Amino acid sequence: MNKTLLLILIAFINYPSHFPNKKDYKEEYIERQGEVSFFSYTPVENIQATNNQALSIFDTKTNEVAVRILMRAFVFKKSLMHEHFNESYIESDLYPEATFSGKIIDFDPSIETMQTRIIKGDFTLKDVTKSVDIKATISIVDGNYIIKGGLDILIDDYNIKVPALLSPNISKKIEVTFNFKYSQHEK
Amino acid sequence: MKSKILQFVLFLSIPSCLSSQNLLDKLANEDLETKNYVMSTFKGTRLSIGHSIETRKKNTLEISFMSRYWNVPQETSNSFIADRMCTRVGLDYGISDRLTFGIGSGNPNGIIDSYLKYRLFQQSTTKKGSPVGITLLQTSTYRTRSIKGIERRNTFGEKLAFTTQLLIARKITRDFSLQISPTFVHRTSSNFSVDDHNHFAVGFGSRYKVSNHVSIVSEYYYVANPLKSIETFGAFSLGANWEVSDLLLQFKMTNNQIFTEDAFITQTAQNFNFRDGNFFFGFHATYHIQL
Repeated sequence: MNKTLLLILIAFINYPSHFPNKKDYKEEYIERQGEVSFFSYTPVENIQATNNQALSIFDTKTNEVAVRILMRAFVFKKSLMHEHFNESYIESDLYPEATFSGKIIDFDPSIETMQTRIIKGDFTLKDVTKSVDIKATISIVDGNYIIKGGLDILIDDYNIKVPALLSPNISKKIEVTFNFKYSQHEK
Repeated sequence: MKSKILQFVLFLSIPSCLSSQNLLDKLANEDLETKNYVMSTFKGTRLSIGHSIETRKKNTLEISFMSRYWNVPQETSNSFIADRMCTRVGLDYGISDRLTFGIGSGNPNGIIDSYLKYRLFQQSTTKKGSPVGITLLQTSTYRTRSIKGIERRNTFGEKLAFTTQLLIARKITRDFSLQISPTFVHRTSSNFSVDDHNHFAVGFGSRYKVSNHVSIVSEYYYVANPLKSIETFGAFSLGANWEVSDLLLQFKMTNNQIFTEDAFITQTAQNFNFRDGNFFFGFHATYHIQL
């Protein structure tokens, strides 16, 4: 009986490191240099920033997508905007990352050309989580997946405070776009 | 045999609990490349009256207007708002992310000044890196006219003064930053033999952020070997910094009217209080331009 327990234990220990990993990684695609941009258009000024270090994983078995975005990695044309973004608005010392976790609805892996689908999931920014529907296009190029899309974020939803004096400078609605090129996870 | 079956059943049951593992958790184990230095220990290149450890980023230009207003004692005056004022207009340019160059000219005191500021170390967010940020400041000033008669004024070389500061600051909490700055001031000439050409001083500065855009700042300078020909006091300032997009507005109450380090550190002739002649109200406006 003790022997059996030991065997079970061994099965438990060994299982995650051998069997499923091989299986999982076949269906897991990763992107380490995903591009995420945001835009704020107002008559006073336009603010634009791009992040080329977004990390994302796409599981073709479950159609799940997860994204991690480092707030400090957003690059602005004006260095002062970068400072204000991190220090006064996003407070990246307290909330260093934004995350998304969701599922592509009705994804059909047999379609080789472009397909437009909704990704339903939870977006977290400044510790505020909201469920969002993102319209995205998914295409397969050389066996790798490309997911592009965008969503609009209301700054009031995510606890981003803009002083009344500066409210003409920053749009209430921030347009976010992304472009992820996934390749097969190798490890 | 029974145990083998049990084992097999258990084996099969594992995948169902593993598949519920969140994809995000998998990403959490991946390392993201981070720049792990502390940002915004202070706002602006000046803490209040003196320099802060902050430099400007490459290719940015700042235009600054500095002013002080005060009343003259025992004078029945009909001046509008204040009896006297003093201004400085300056330019600060970021040569690189670490090196900033600035020039300025004061009116009516006629002091022309320039400085170079180099960021040696940045405070790290991790325990491994530097616990403090360190910036080196070198200023030089030229006095076109006599103010307190401290220096001889026969040749060009006698009207110069240099200040070297090692600015050491730490962002202790996200709201509170502290700066200590060992200072060396060299004046090329002295009118009175009792006065030393060289002065050693220490500056103390702090800021407390009351909101994301407003902070309270204070500074004090202690001089180890003050001037002997006149009585001097440590320069003190208490003020508020307010950031409005590209504009940084700095309001202060202080006991000196001159904007250059060598002057206010060693030649502040009045202590801080609210009487006419001692009390100076200062206003600085700095406009930031990305070139």
